[in-house]
Amino acid sequence: MATQPHTVPPRPARADSGAAKIVVPSLIGALVALTLGVYGHLHNPTGYAINIAGFSSPGAVKSWLATGAFVFALVQVGSALVMYGKIPRIAAPSWIGGLHRWSGRAAFLLAVPVAVHCLYALGFQGYSTRVLIHSVLGCAFFGAFTIKMLILPKSELPSWTLPALGALVFTALTGVWFTSAFWFFSTFGIRH
Amino acid sequence: MNIKTPYLTLLVGAALGAVLLVASMLATPKAPASPIAAATPAPASSAPAQPAPSSPTPTATAVANVPARANYAGEVNGGGASVAISIHHGQAIAYVCNGSVIEAWLKGTAANGHLTMTGKGHARLSATYRTKRAVGHVIAHGVRYTFSAPAVHKPSGLYRAIAIVRGAKIKAGWIVLPDGSQVGSLEPNTDAAAPSATRAPVLDVTTGTAHDGNTVLVATPISGVTGSGF
Repeated sequence: MATQPHTVPPRPARADSGAAKIVVPSLIGALVALTLGVYGHLHNPTGYAINIAGFSSPGAVKSWLATGAFVFALVQVGSALVMYGKIPRIAAPSWIGGLHRWSGRAAFLLAVPVAVHCLYALGFQGYSTRVLIHSVLGCAFFGAFTIKMLILPKSELPSWTLPALGALVFTALTGVWFTSAFWFFSTFGIRH
Repeated sequence: MNIKTPYLTLLVGAALGAVLLVASMLATPKAPASPIAAATPAPASSAPAQPAPSSPTPTATAVANVPARANYAGEVNGGGASVAISIHHGQAIAYVCNGSVIEAWLKGTAANGHLTMTGKGHARLSATYRTKRAVGHVIAHGVRYTFSAPAVHKPSGLYRAIAIVRGAKIKAGWIVLPDGSQVGSLEPNTDAAAPSATRAPVLDVTTGTAHDGNTVLVATPISGVTGSGF
């Protein structure tokens, strides 16, 4: 990674020093968010992208996919709270880790087609507050998710790292959902 | 469990995104079929003969129920065109359009429940407005229409898009009615001596965009309630 030489401490240290373990993934995640935003801004929106048949509009498809992702994200928060023993009188069952991993994968994979449609067909826009917030948070979500995935396999991290990143990812997705699918359904009614 | 599966998750997501992106690029029509050539509603010719009815403006004895901010949109009497009016604290913007050559943008003032507006090409509008309805007449492109337009709420109402393409200023307007139907016209060159409007491409109100050939028109809602477009 090109950024690594700058983050490695001057003293001879292990490549996996504490700072590098968090800083390098963070820089990569920031780069991902920035790349998405710059692409969305520079690319001339086509207004068209492949989509799933059987819905009334691309907006409806995306709203339902995003809502699916959001529901899985709620499962993420719930399962994480159980894993960390934050729910009184509920001991973490053996399958909770699997539930957390698979609901996360599902949420991410549901969000990808929505993002492709957004970036390719519509682009990064700022013609209203809602649209601007949505554009910024959409890019931030994928950046934050990238950081979390890159940091997950690292060991001996400060205990707050994963909960904080999880909260960041969830907050971004919640904001994205409220400024798009929630707006869509409340404006046009819940439709397929 | 392999400890590196988060990397795999990212890769799968990136691959899915790349596949969808490439598929979209391949599927995007190079030159979208022109929607302009389609239905061209019978314009002007029959309408000017319409006798001017006595002023539909109701006599306002007491100026009550006059909103400071309002949006109205509806078909003109007899159909054939639509009109939209947005009032924002004394300022008013209106658009009348038949989805083809007859169209006019008007500006003016609103006071005491009465509207007086003018636009290019001797366009004029006069109306009385109350909370629920605006009633009056408009002259655009030499055609006189009377109307009684109800108050409307988002996403119904008036939308405007302006773009510069190869030095020419494109201006498009759409009126979205409460039933979701829309009518819009597009001036390909607003600075031309005799601007000629054509049917506007369909406006996607969910995204606020319309596609004129390879040009993406980003529409701004004109709303007296929110002040957008004023």
